[in-house]
Order: sequence, then structure tokens, then C-alpha cells
Amino acid sequence: MTLLEVRNLTKTFGALMANSEVSFDVERGSIVGLIGPNGAGKTTLFNCVAGLYKPTSGTVTLDGEDITGLPSWKIARLGVARTFQVVRPLKEMTVFENILVGAHMRHRETAKAAEIATRCMELCFLSSYRDHLSGGLTIGNKKRLEVARALATEPKLILLDEAVAGLTSTEVKEMVEVIRRMKDEGITVLMVEHIMEAIMPIADKLVVLNSGVKICEDAPRAVVQNPEVIRAYFGEKYSRRLRTEGKEDDHGCDA
Amino acid sequence: MTKKTTLSDRLWYLFLAAALVLPFIPGGIGNSFHGHVLTMVLLYAAMAQAWNIISGYCGQTSFGHAVFFGIGAYGAAMAVVQFNTLPWYGAPVGAVVAAVTSVLISAPCFKLKGHYFAIATFAIVEIFSRLFMIWDWVGGAIGLDYPILDDGWRNFSWSSDKNGYYLGALALFTLIFGVVRWIESHRMGYYFRAVREGQETAESLGVHSTAVKLSAMALSAGLTALCGAFFAQYNYRVDPPMVMSLDISMKFLLITILGGLGTFWGPLLGAAVLIPLQEYTRAYLSHLGSGVDLIIFGIIIILTMIKQPMGIMGIIRGVTRRTSTVPAKEGDA
Ligand SMILES: Nc1ncnc2c1ncn2[C@@H]1O[C@H](COP(=O)(O)OP(=O)(O)O)[C@@H](O)[C@H]1O
Ligand SMILES: [Mg+2]
Repeated sequence: MTLLEVRNLTKTFGALMANSEVSFDVERGSIVGLIGPNGAGKTTLFNCVAGLYKPTSGTVTLDGEDITGLPSWKIARLGVARTFQVVRPLKEMTVFENILVGAHMRHRETAKAAEIATRCMELCFLSSYRDHLSGGLTIGNKKRLEVARALATEPKLILLDEAVAGLTSTEVKEMVEVIRRMKDEGITVLMVEHIMEAIMPIADKLVVLNSGVKICEDAPRAVVQNPEVIRAYFGEKYSRRLRTEGKEDDHGCDA
Repeated sequence: MTKKTTLSDRLWYLFLAAALVLPFIPGGIGNSFHGHVLTMVLLYAAMAQAWNIISGYCGQTSFGHAVFFGIGAYGAAMAVVQFNTLPWYGAPVGAVVAAVTSVLISAPCFKLKGHYFAIATFAIVEIFSRLFMIWDWVGGAIGLDYPILDDGWRNFSWSSDKNGYYLGALALFTLIFGVVRWIESHRMGYYFRAVREGQETAESLGVHSTAVKLSAMALSAGLTALCGAFFAQYNYRVDPPMVMSLDISMKFLLITILGGLGTFWGPLLGAAVLIPLQEYTRAYLSHLGSGVDLIIFGIIIILTMIKQPMGIMGIIRGVTRRTSTVPAKEGDA
């Protein structure tokens, strides 16, 4: 069943077409990757879905309900959480308080919200920073805080904008684990990611944007072999490497 | 949110107990000058705390609070002078009128980004003070003078023994500080601070930031008006420059900033330093002309801002952090 339906979404900034007639679906319970070169319009698309921008035209449907152009706080309450690519910690609040803001969306009682927040904090490996002011965290921890805070709103759909980029390789593995756990809890994931190692093994589907236009939508294996995607995004060499790595992965999984 | 007693809790109850006992000690308050100063410290701390709700916790700097203070003062004075009834009726009416006015003023102003909100509130003080100057029903430029009234709680008026005023100020102080204490540990408090720290981020977490700012403003204005009502009762009169001037607006701001913006104890600490200074300079340096107190306020604020932008609370936190045995919090891996 389709959870999110994007149809003919267009967003222009003056003469610039950041998104042009983009359409795709996100199935309930799946992990969908949104990839494409820098400036392709991925963040803009997230902003249109999450209500930070009003789309110029097109529709966004969540669970059969038209949410196009609603204010972001309403969309959040309808079950769409998002992280920001350029992290936005609520600086003068502690890690726990940041997450608590998210958890309060569905729970007026602070005791109950604190319970949820504690779980999200643990899930994102942030417990040891509980009472640190979020403004002073390292970039890796700020990225995790973005995710923890969004999760605390108990969303149906979470939009992750480069939540893995900028993390160390251990942290990447942890974050991939976090995303897997989200899926297990029934949260649908739409993620923008450049680190193919992070997205390939977990995505059910990839959507590729280039210059604001969707150029491909397919299973990850098929996408990395798509000639147009290779030309626009990976380059020949990278794609060959991915293919061989993919084969190794297969063996790993079978064993 | 955890139900254990914190140091702040203990200090709070200790302070209230001490403040409550004071007037019953011989020479505690009575009709003394230091009694007057202590009453003013409590009143200004309460005012600053009310302002702190919208400007400290919620991050929307208001220069307009003299308007709400004035509306409250006129509420009480109109009840007594024009309607020949009790200030107890005028004060809540003033609070409601101030809250409604604040929402009507802020709704369009909150659309302004950044410093423009602060600037807009600046202009509003001037508009209201002019309006009250020419409005005959509320006494115009002459203002309203109280008639002679019987002493006591009924009229909220005391002419010789001022313990009543002191206790009234303490009640107001307890109310406003109590409200902020409650807010701090509940959803509303987290939402206020979230809006201050990043409106778009807060909205991405389901926070209706406009509604949050308007509630903070209405609450702040209503509580400020109650302080205004007290001020009118205390001075036995009210006129526009006395309650609706930028001088008054600045005091809300300076006291809180000196003490520590967006902190629970800041307004009390700021008032405890600035108000005695104001009252004693007025008493002993008044021959130098009016406004000496504001000059001294200004110098102190500039010095604090250079040394410690978080005010007295910042200094205290710096000291407790340095002396605490808990491992330092800075270096996060
Ligand atoms: N608020 C904005 N105003 C003007 N141009 C913007 C704005 N946001 C994004 N753009 C432009 O839209 C294009 C797509 O940007 P973006 O969505 O951030 O790409 P991506 O996330 O895929 O790297 C870029 O050319 C960018 O400069
Ligand atoms: Mg981007």
C-alpha cells in the first residue's frame, strides 16, 4: 500500500526549476533512497513534502490525504518527521530536551514524553550526552540528534536528509542499524544519501533526481546499472566498483 | 520532570519562607524605607519574570511591556476612581484587557522576522502613551488620583503600616514565579524554548509556533498587568508617563538581562541589585536630576554584557561549574 504519493511536484525559485514534475510513490514499511548529484533538488523535494516550502504545483498525498501546502507543524502532526541536512540543534537546550520537544508532540504529559525521548536517545546512541547542550556536540552527534528528535514524534514516515554523510565509518554502521530498527518498528523511511555503502544494502527502491527531474526509479541493483544514472551521477568507475561490491554482499548474505 | 527535589526547589521554598516571616519580625517592614525597597524588589522581580516569559524563554524581545503594565494600572485605578468600587475588580479586568491587547498587537508583529518585532513593540508604547494622554475618560495627561480610602485588604491600601503592600507584592511575586516554575517543567516551557532556539525546527516537530508565541505573550501581558495594578495601588495615583513610558519598558528588560535572560532566578537577582540602587539613588542623589538611576542601570548593564552576557546567573553557573567535583562537561567526543 502506498503511504506517500508525490505527483508532478514542481518547485521553482525565480527562474530556477529545483524540482520539475517529479512523481513517485513510497510504499508503507519500505525504505526508499533519494539520490542524485549536488543541487539535484533532493532537499527542496523534502522541504516541499514536509511543508517548509509550498510546492509551485503538483500534489503530495499522505495515507490518501492531500497534504500539499499545509504548514509544516500540521504535516508533522499527520506523521511526517524530517531531519535537516544542515543540522539544526536547538542550541541552548540539552540533548534530552531537544528530543523531549519532539516527544511532546503526541504526549502532553512530560513524564510520558520523557519515556519516549529516553528510548529514542538510547536508540541513537546519545545517552552519554543526555545533559550536554546540543550546540556543543560534534557533527556526528548533532546528526544523530536530528534523527532521535524526529523519531520522538513517533512518525509514520521519516525523511532523512543525508543523516549518514559526515559520520565516521563506525558511526555509519550504527546509523544504518538505527534505520533498520526504524523499519522493524514499522516506520517508513525516505532518505537522501550520497554514501552508497549506507543506502544500497537497506533500500528497497531508489529514486534518482538530476537537475530537478526524476531520471530513474528502480531497485538499487538496477539503478546502479542504469546508463543514464551512471552518466549523471556515479561515473563509470564508481559504478563498476559498486557492482563488484554488490556481488560480494550477495555472498555475504547467503552465507 | 523527575520528582526529586533539586537545589533550585530548596532555594525557592527557603526564600519564600524567609520572605514571608520578615514582616512579622519587629522592624522587618512596617513603614521603613528598607521595607519600601524590599517591596519594590519583589514587585520589579515579578514584572521582570512576567517579561521573561515572552522575551527570555520564548525569545521574542518586547519593548512594549509598559503598555500592559499601564493597562493594569489603569484597570485598578479606574475601578477605584471612576467606578467607586474595589481594585479587586479592576485588576483582573485590566489583566484580561492587557492579554487581549497583547494578542491583537503581536499577531501582525510576529510575522516580522528577527529584530523587527522588537522595533515594532517600541513604537507601540509611544502610541498608547499618547492615546492615554488625550483620553479624558481615563484622566488624560493629569491621570487619576485616588480618594482617601480605609486601610486594609478590602481597598488594598495602607497609609501607615505598609506590611500589607509587602505581603501583596510577595503574593504577586509568588504567583508569577510559581507560574514560570510550573511552565519550565511542562510541555509549554519546552515549546517556548524550542521556538526561541529555532522556529522552523520547532515547527518540524509539530509545534504551532504562532500559537505558542501568542500564548506566551498573552500570559506575559496578563501577569504584567497585575503588577501594574499593584503599582497604582501603591502610588495612589496613575498617569501616562508614570506607567506607560519607555523608561518602564526598559526596566523589564534591564533587570532580566542583568540577572540572566531566560533563567528562573535571573529576574530576582537583577531586581535585587538594580532596585535598591534605583531607590537609594533616588532618595540620596535626586538633586542630580531625574534619570540618574537609568544612567547607573545602563553602566551596570554594559559592564555585565562585556564580562558575562548571561548576566548574574552566568557568573553563578561559571563559579559552580568550576568548583563542582563532577567531571567537566565540555569535551564531548
Ligand atoms: N531557498 C532557496 N532559494 C533559492 N534557490 C534554492 C533554494 N533552495 C534550494 N535552491 C536551489 O535549488 C537547487 C536544488 O537545491 P537542493 O534541493 O538543495 O539540492 P540537493 O539537496 O539535491 O543538493 C539548487 O540549485 C539550489 O541552489
Ligand atoms: Mg541537499
